[in-house]
Amino acid sequence: MAVAADHHSHKPQLDREALRDVIRLSLWAGQMLLQYGADTNRVEQIIHRLGTGLGADWMDILVTPDAIVATTINNYEFRTKVRRAPSRGVDMTVIAEISELSYKVQAGKMDRFGVGEKLIEIDKRPHYNRWTVVLAVGLACAAFNRLFGGDVATFAVTFFASSAAMYVRQWLHSLELNTVLNWVITAFVAGIIASLAELLSLSPLSSTALAASVLLLVPGVPLINGSEDFLNGHITNGLARSVWGAILSLAIAMGLSLAITTMRVSGL
Amino acid sequence: MNILITILEDALWSGVAAVGFGVLFNVPKRALVYCALVGACGHAVRALMMTQFNMGITTATLIGALVVGFMSKFIARKLKMPSMIFGITGAIPMVPGVFAYQTMISLGEMIHQEPGQIAVSLGEAAVNGVRTVALLGCLALGITAPTFLLEREHPVV
Repeated sequence: MAVAADHHSHKPQLDREALRDVIRLSLWAGQMLLQYGADTNRVEQIIHRLGTGLGADWMDILVTPDAIVATTINNYEFRTKVRRAPSRGVDMTVIAEISELSYKVQAGKMDRFGVGEKLIEIDKRPHYNRWTVVLAVGLACAAFNRLFGGDVATFAVTFFASSAAMYVRQWLHSLELNTVLNWVITAFVAGIIASLAELLSLSPLSSTALAASVLLLVPGVPLINGSEDFLNGHITNGLARSVWGAILSLAIAMGLSLAITTMRVSGL
Repeated sequence: MNILITILEDALWSGVAAVGFGVLFNVPKRALVYCALVGACGHAVRALMMTQFNMGITTATLIGALVVGFMSKFIARKLKMPSMIFGITGAIPMVPGVFAYQTMISLGEMIHQEPGQIAVSLGEAAVNGVRTVALLGCLALGITAPTFLLEREHPVV
């Protein structure tokens, strides 16, 4: 076969079936990373590490806010695939497991069949019990209340408001409700319960309960990842994540304002 | 002595906040205690800088985020886990959540106002918005600086 301008080093020839698995598996891993909250650099690096580890000479990767395109190259053969990856919240177990997997593949300790089995296993990873999440998030928001200078009464009110709100958020999520609507309703519920601190005259610092009770909804990961993407030069992805963070912040403000008006309390 | 108690209390509650969000983010069990440690140290250092050294919140946040970033890198190497687990979860206590939604509340207040009264809400929205952006920038810079400084290599991708 005559080929012009050959200046690349090549790995052993892969047949088309093997090349198909290289792109399918590395894209699957990348899809999970993007869906569960990894920043753009990490998604690119891990797809590249997996693809080249499985035998490709090179990977060309385009990460967009909700889809990934990748081309895998091996000895003048190449295959390209698009994969959608709409956001699914944050899951650090997925990110940790796939990262570990990519280093194993790079070190040559795992072939494509092993990677496929491992990815199925990661897909079925364990989660914390939903009540554990409800209580942990309630406690976290109550802790924020202390950081804002709240007292014992506002601590307790925040704990109840945020726990109940987290329960509502999980319930609406299970009903497949639109995320922005979910955020408005959940912030409203948190605001209504937190207003009790003022209505029942439980504390002179009642506004701290109101401020802390909706913190479970703050889109911290999109906002931080968005800024990291900006710093790394991924401007479009950074913009998309930051705008998403702004929209969810607006949803919190809507729900909270609605609760403040409904309960006729003095607000923040 | 009083200062020490205040800072330790700040660290305690920041640690609790970091663990709570760690559970929400499905952080593996063996990493949770380190998330608490990173979150507590970052926020406590920020509080120390603001109360004892009279720093502004942005500079203090940058220093707190650098603590988070370097601790995350160190722990990540020890546990062989990605540093973002500790970096993101540890930064959560410093995320300007209240500033972010107060910006939006101030913008919302403008809907019912006459042009003459709007200056106060507009000013509040601007101040809170600028603070949100500045703090997020400082957080991201602090968390990623260790990678920029310690892992300088030609990009592979």
